[in-house]
Amino acid sequence: MIARLTVAERQSALLILIVMSFLGLAMAAAGRGTPFGLHGFLVIAASIGVGLPLLRKFYAPEPDPAQFEQYYDDPTKVGIVLAMLWAIAGMFVGVWVAALLAWPDLTIDAAWASFGRLRPIHTSGVIFGFGGNALIATSFHVLQRTSRARLPDQLSPWFVLLGYNLFCVVAATGYMMGVTQSKEYAEPEWYADIWLVIVWVVYFLIYIRTLARRKEPHIYVANWYYMAFILVVAILHIVNNLAVPVSFGDFKSYSAFSGVQDAMTQWWYGHNAVAFFLTAGFLGMLYYYLPKRAGRPIFSYRLSIISFWGITFMYMWAGSHHLHYTALPQWVQTLGMTFSIVLLVPSWASAGNALATLNGAWHKVRDDATLRFMMVAAVFYGISTFEGSFMAIRAVNSLSHYTDWTVGHVHAGALGWVAMITFGSIYALVPWMWKRETMYSARLIEVHFWLALAGTVVYVFAMWNSGIIQGLMWRTYTDSGTLAYSFIDSLVAMHPYYIARAFGGLLFLLGAIVGTYNVLMTIRVAKRERAQSGGGTDVPSYGRDPVLQAGE
Amino acid sequence: MSEFHRKIERNTMRFVLAIIVVASIGGIVEIAPLFTIKSTVEAAPNMRVYTPLELAGRSIYMREGCYACHSQMIRTLRDEVERYGPYSLAVESQYDHPMLWGSKRTGPDIARVGEKYSDAWHVAHLYNPRDVVPESVMPAYRWLLRNELRIDDLPGHLRAMRDVGVPYTDAMIENAAKDAFGQAAPESDAAVGVTERYGAATHMRAFDGNAGRLTEMDALVAYLQIMGKLTDAAQKTEQTKIGE
Amino acid sequence: MHDMVVAFSKSWGLFYLVALAVGVVIYAYWPANRARFTRAKNSILDKDDRPWS
Ligand code: HEM
Ligand code: HEM
Repeated sequence: MIARLTVAERQSALLILIVMSFLGLAMAAAGRGTPFGLHGFLVIAASIGVGLPLLRKFYAPEPDPAQFEQYYDDPTKVGIVLAMLWAIAGMFVGVWVAALLAWPDLTIDAAWASFGRLRPIHTSGVIFGFGGNALIATSFHVLQRTSRARLPDQLSPWFVLLGYNLFCVVAATGYMMGVTQSKEYAEPEWYADIWLVIVWVVYFLIYIRTLARRKEPHIYVANWYYMAFILVVAILHIVNNLAVPVSFGDFKSYSAFSGVQDAMTQWWYGHNAVAFFLTAGFLGMLYYYLPKRAGRPIFSYRLSIISFWGITFMYMWAGSHHLHYTALPQWVQTLGMTFSIVLLVPSWASAGNALATLNGAWHKVRDDATLRFMMVAAVFYGISTFEGSFMAIRAVNSLSHYTDWTVGHVHAGALGWVAMITFGSIYALVPWMWKRETMYSARLIEVHFWLALAGTVVYVFAMWNSGIIQGLMWRTYTDSGTLAYSFIDSLVAMHPYYIARAFGGLLFLLGAIVGTYNVLMTIRVAKRERAQSGGGTDVPSYGRDPVLQAGE
Repeated sequence: MSEFHRKIERNTMRFVLAIIVVASIGGIVEIAPLFTIKSTVEAAPNMRVYTPLELAGRSIYMREGCYACHSQMIRTLRDEVERYGPYSLAVESQYDHPMLWGSKRTGPDIARVGEKYSDAWHVAHLYNPRDVVPESVMPAYRWLLRNELRIDDLPGHLRAMRDVGVPYTDAMIENAAKDAFGQAAPESDAAVGVTERYGAATHMRAFDGNAGRLTEMDALVAYLQIMGKLTDAAQKTEQTKIGE
Repeated sequence: MHDMVVAFSKSWGLFYLVALAVGVVIYAYWPANRARFTRAKNSILDKDDRPWS
């Protein structure tokens, strides 16, 4: 892969790595022995880890110019593998924290292994590690195919992918050492945040530069969603993370906002992280890979445009539904509730559009587990957005807030929608990238599908039950007008559901492991085949229907 | 109209701007007024700031992820007020950078836990929650008793807090390390001046039961014991918003 | 001052929502756009084996 970089790109890469090593050194020196210093060493190690293979191929000849007639997919390939590995890591920690809630002593007497430090590793690991890598990998692929243009250069995509993973590793190791801002989904500290801004700007520039080179006059709608994801996440990230560090050399910073302003800023961020990280980007996947795999155009392109602007506009107002009945002024709560309810319209437009696309191709959905992953994802997208709009109603939220119902809603979205659409897209993409007709094993995709679906259903039902029971117990009064249950009573009632949740999560994790195995085996088999036959052409992996194979 | 959109779309930069503008409106409209408003945050003239020891405890609370299971925001609902105390006011977290309202109650709300239990109860509970509450699922935080509290960097922390708007005085910043030690060792020389700077009601005692050694446990318990006690505004305000 | 900001927020948001919705719907259903959209939605299904020159 490195030999495919031009000589100039290799030189720039080396320069960047040298600068990063010096930065790492400065961090290590300033942070002497503290987590900040250790992160300095991590940066140095990462630079060397990338630098060594680079140096080994540094003097390789200029690559064959014919490669510039092809799309540039190397970063996408690596991104797919990284996404699968993060999936296993993040979900393993998810199962672990789930088990800790059922059996709290299932850990060792070490700070890094306690629930409070593991939980953000789970959330960041799955959202940013798994979801983020999948988004970056697929976005590069979709962007090139729909623009009919190659990425503008070969270095910046690597900078984005590897730089982003460095951010994820700094975040996860930081939590273990107690480095956190404590803002949910924005836990990484100031230096990681600044690094992410740099990575993100380069990511955005790749998008803009490729679009500027596009040969297709119209920008396909999937790219709109990816662009909204990139842009809005940048805005959210910068505003919510404004903070004053104690010093250079100290990991700790103090948020620029406090109290009620901070709460509103944080949940404006938090909700839109859901909207633009966990929804917009993945809708980009949906609008490309689902029609592609089904071999049919999206049902209504117009509807996809209408839902795009609806989602882009309305999500931004909805954050205050996280703060119902709190010290936030009531008019802001009402505004958030109203927009959350209207939000159902564009959300269901997308879900319905996806399902209508499949109408007439149900036999493919039946036979092809990859397409079925995407179909189920669209269904869960519909379910979790309906649930979300419902929970945003103040009266409902008074029951659901603070309970496991929220966690159930989160995972209906996260497992059912985010993870399923990702797995479906990856199964569609992997054979294409490694130039094979199919995945290594269709049977294993089937196994993964059923494990994932069963795991999701068990998880979500367990949490709906426990959440509603919990909410009701907290507000039940005896006849004499006193509270009927102590807090501990409600906790005891949760126990069986926590066990069920851990079990459902385990199924889901097993599915992810099966999927990763399948992906890695596909890569291996493809390599062996290529060694025998000597290279193939770019084969989009359509549905199995032979009539729909590429016409050229 | 159509021509307009086609232009937007053909020109990528304009499309980018359109997304930014459309997306930003909601945030600006909702958040900006919170900064101009005075009635968002009630006046509380007697509100005091966190002592250096309490601030260090608050950092430990964040470090260990306590906020993931405990809320610090009692909502304006009857059952919450009866279970946890007067509902939370905005002013109570005005020095909280960031706020720790939380979004999940795996454990109970602790906005008003200050002075509800003894120091010894907290130490035992943090050491192993199941020793005092057999059904609890809370993790054991044994290392808090083992780890000495780092105090030499506390002036920097107070200074950063002042930079974001918390009224720490020069004397508070200068004496931060000494005050942290003194608050948990009331008999020592270091204790002189703490109450002068932070008020007579400041808790002066060896929170972990050992005045000779300043541990992370001291800091965390000091923070827990001040929760809901920085001002009595909530007790004084009539709780008119219940159920609203 | 504050009351003005709030009043503006409350009323203008709604107006803006309606205007945006109308604009987007007009755009989506503008007859001249039909051909473009049809082309766009079919475009992803073919000729994507290499960049166009
Ligand atoms: C193997 C599958 C999984 C298991 C067992 C699992 C388990 C858990 C557990 C136990 C929690 C903590 C809940 C609590 O504090 O009460 C949690 C929180 C969370 N998980 Fe997962 N999870 C899984 C997969 C995922 C995936 C794939 C995503 C996202 C793509 C995700 C996103 C989240 C989020 C956002 C939270 C925080 C929820 C909140 O704060 O309300 N999880 N998960
Ligand atoms: C129309 C769409 C949606 C609406 C209106 C909505 C609304 C809500 C509401 C009302 C809450 C509970 C807030 C609380 O009481 O604390 C919530 C929490 C959450 N939702 Fe959604 N939701 C929607 C879609 C989604 C989707 C598709 C996901 C995807 C994964 C998702 C992920 C989350 C997460 C992670 C939280 C937990 C935040 C936390 O407390 O840590 N939501 N949502």
